[in-house]
Amino acid sequence: MPKWSMVIDLDKCVACQGCSIACRMENNTPVVSPAESALGRLMLWNDVFPLQAEEHGAIASAQAKFLTRPCMHCEDPPCVKVCPVEATYQDEEGIVRQNYARCIGCRFCTVACPYGVRYFNWYAPAWDEGLERHLNPDRVSGDGDLEGPAIRPKGVVEKCTYCIHRLHKARERAAAEEREFRPDEYVPACVQTCTGKARFFGDLDDPNSTVSQLAQSRRAFRLLEEAGTHPKTIYLHEG
Amino acid sequence: MGTQKPLSRRQFLKLSASVAGSAAVISGARSLFTGLTAEASTGGTLQTAVEEKIIPTVCLLCPSGCGMLARVADGNLVKLEGSPMHPVNLGALCPKGQAAPELLYNPDRLTGPMRRTGERGANQWESITWEEAIQIVAAKLNDLRATGIPQRAAILYGEVRGQMRPFLDRFMAVIGSPNAISHDSLNIEAAKLGTLLTQGIYDLPAYDLENAHYVLSFGANMVEAGRSPQRMVSGMSYMRRGRAERGKIVVIDPRQGVTGAKADEWIPINSGTDAALVLAIANVIIKTGQFDSDFVHNYAFGFEDFKDDDGKDHRGFKNYVLENYDPQRVESITGIPATTISRIAGEFAGNPPAVAILPGKGGLLNGSFNGVAAAMAIHSLNALVGNLDIPGGVLTQRYPACPAWPDLPADSVAEAGRQAERVDGAGTRFPLARHAYQAVADRVLDGGYPLEALFLYDANPVYETPGGERFAQAFERIPLIVSFSSFMDESAQYADLLLPEPTFLERWQDDYFEGLGYPGVALRQPVVEPLYDTLNTGDFLLQVAQAMGGPVAEAFPWESFKVLLQERLSGNGTDWEMLKELGVWMTPGYRYTRRGSEKWVQEVIGRDRLKSARDGRFDFYSRELSCLLTGMDKDQLEALGAGVSGDPFFMPHYEPVKYLGNENDYPFMLNIVTLMSLGPYSAAANMPSLQEISGMTAGKRWDSWLEMNPETAHELGLEDGDLVWVESLFGYLKTSLKLVPGLHSDVVNLPHNQGHTAVGRFAQGRGINGLEILNPASEPFSGLAAFTNTRVRVMKV
Repeated sequence: MPKWSMVIDLDKCVACQGCSIACRMENNTPVVSPAESALGRLMLWNDVFPLQAEEHGAIASAQAKFLTRPCMHCEDPPCVKVCPVEATYQDEEGIVRQNYARCIGCRFCTVACPYGVRYFNWYAPAWDEGLERHLNPDRVSGDGDLEGPAIRPKGVVEKCTYCIHRLHKARERAAAEEREFRPDEYVPACVQTCTGKARFFGDLDDPNSTVSQLAQSRRAFRLLEEAGTHPKTIYLHEG
Repeated sequence: MGTQKPLSRRQFLKLSASVAGSAAVISGARSLFTGLTAEASTGGTLQTAVEEKIIPTVCLLCPSGCGMLARVADGNLVKLEGSPMHPVNLGALCPKGQAAPELLYNPDRLTGPMRRTGERGANQWESITWEEAIQIVAAKLNDLRATGIPQRAAILYGEVRGQMRPFLDRFMAVIGSPNAISHDSLNIEAAKLGTLLTQGIYDLPAYDLENAHYVLSFGANMVEAGRSPQRMVSGMSYMRRGRAERGKIVVIDPRQGVTGAKADEWIPINSGTDAALVLAIANVIIKTGQFDSDFVHNYAFGFEDFKDDDGKDHRGFKNYVLENYDPQRVESITGIPATTISRIAGEFAGNPPAVAILPGKGGLLNGSFNGVAAAMAIHSLNALVGNLDIPGGVLTQRYPACPAWPDLPADSVAEAGRQAERVDGAGTRFPLARHAYQAVADRVLDGGYPLEALFLYDANPVYETPGGERFAQAFERIPLIVSFSSFMDESAQYADLLLPEPTFLERWQDDYFEGLGYPGVALRQPVVEPLYDTLNTGDFLLQVAQAMGGPVAEAFPWESFKVLLQERLSGNGTDWEMLKELGVWMTPGYRYTRRGSEKWVQEVIGRDRLKSARDGRFDFYSRELSCLLTGMDKDQLEALGAGVSGDPFFMPHYEPVKYLGNENDYPFMLNIVTLMSLGPYSAAANMPSLQEISGMTAGKRWDSWLEMNPETAHELGLEDGDLVWVESLFGYLKTSLKLVPGLHSDVVNLPHNQGHTAVGRFAQGRGINGLEILNPASEPFSGLAAFTNTRVRVMKV
């Protein structure tokens, strides 16, 4: 059984935000109003942002740093521990998932997550006339619950799923072609679109996979390693 | 046997979904992902659309022209992916491309042809039929031809490529007008002229980043919104981590931006002094003997001092540079330490192949001849180390060889009209210009060149030119204005006819591969049926030609633009059916030419020279410039604003920018920057997802902001987030301040593509349009718009 992992090479990332919008179009996250956006209530599961200047010295010639941030899909996810209703859970392949039908909107998880990658629906998502036509029709449902790109109701928390519906589709295609599914048949939308080819995706347990080899790189690091969450989204330093 | 267990709700849902799914397998002919359902090990059931198709097409939201694969589910476009077949983007897609379904399904699109009923600009319209529109336009054009003034029809067009550009040029030529005017003078023309006056190629060079070891980028804004950001990103990515040896990228720009942040080194430079820096680098390379002696002596002109045909002595590039551009002297001009200049020169010459990259936009358009001279200088650096047409060097863009267009029919009215002067003054008022888009308004307003009919194709001059309000005034004097825009943009508002074209996702068009050098064809095809009563402008003009009859109809025998494409593209060996299926057609692989060979002379050096020798020699001393300005004496050159006289004028040289606004009262150069998110086109500002990510670097969204160096701001008593006035000699605007350490203290940045007063609900009334307070003048030699010679002051509100 694969253990899914993403590696992001910051040396190749050009902070274009292609990942942010690929994620949006794939997962049906709504555009929030300008006022909501000013309050920091963006629904971009993979946001891109500059690191504060203080963190790398404010001298004029210092180069700005940018970070692109999907869910870390921690091996030891704090969000799962605090969920009182088991709406968020880690599946057997390591993907931290969110069951919208169970979520009661208490937002314990958004506080517990040290990475700020859990997003609360303050309002029911809405699209201006006509724009709803581009919504991705895919939906994942399990145990009577809604997951994946299915439109979320107001009052639930949502998050990056490593495009779980794409995994389902890839497995189904393999099944339809009566052959075994290979882990390299599936990548999330952000990995597919990456303009700098900075993202890699695959099975961390497979010693021959690109991600497991890059995870051994001397440039590899994880965000807030000291938090003990053991992220499976791994970064590579610039330079 | 046994008792029948009732179906659980979950099983029931699963079963019905499976039934729908099997139907989908049969109906979806080309579907890759059909509506199957299955239980995966990770749990959960998938439901999806019944019928799916994947259709290749080409993006049109920036000049990269990336290949796309459109996922169409149950008739709706639901996702776009980069096409792995397309060599520019290699499967990648930037946020603009990803957000393109918001363009197609935009709630503010124009839904059909309309005619103005109220006052101009009053926004009162009535619907008409396409038949009526064709009759109105044909009658007007026939009228102009009958009265012998067909040159009074003009078209302004934007980034038009593939067959559409020669098609539009041909249309104007056939009716008898020289006025097919491209927006190049707003962005890439400085770089194109710099290349023409040295290498003799009127085009932007392509750069072989994949094989380059060292890249010097001069304000080229490579990864955000240079000429072809995705091409540059693909090349850079490979240069860094795709091959064994990592290349180095050095960005020279007063503004760090994302490009400078992501480079190996960012060197801030005093704005407008790039030419001096380049020539100091050349000075070091020449002094240390690290130039390509074979190239500069055998395949170049004007490196050494020379005597002309009349026996007159002329300075050559070598001595001119050695005498005038010592790094110590240039340090005081550029603000870059002489030691840094020497180090960069050593790195550039010592790490072959190295390339010096020209800005494709903005940077060099500074309203004096300095801009063109700087482009010549930057490009000459490539020649100095002999990296033209070699792996890792500068490549020359080649295009698919299409069959020649049929000869223009004999037509004395049109022939006379074509000989008339151009309304933008290209080639006359502006001796070096091929296009002077922004100057059209001036000419119409001063009454020197009345226009009777104006077409706007992918053009929004009221918004996108410095001081665009002039166009709104000029429009008052033009009896028929036709806009083909899909949106009610700032210029369409003043039109008489709105003849909306479908978006690029609903129409037929072709494109080439930008920035790779080798020829290829990419096909833009409708991924869904047009949503509204729109018409491809190519088809509209073909029908107008038929309605006009006579020689015009004769010159346009194609029944549709698609048929025209099919005919012209198959004429170069392209298989139309394969092109439709794959989206691209090419024989990849750049064909290098041997120095001095026949192909070198035909294709690489001198191809586009109009007046000087096509002898395969790169001009360090521009013979083309000298010939184009033949007959002008020193006084005339000075009257046009030449900053230097004599031989240096014809060589890459530095002359100070003539800023508008003195340094004491207006301490900052206003730098209008194009962002990766919103890009250059007005319609993109009405795509909500792009608005939402627009100000990522500044933490602003849906708005404008002004960037300033923190130390400078503190000296002025300004804080981050302050509301400020930005004032130039041409007006003032209000926005909020963002302090950015990565910025030269004498420059303020204002992002482009906000401050719309039209286009749609998401674009309108957000932020400011900095172009409103830029110098509206054109550069007197080249007709370039002046984007970077306006100074401003900044005051707290």
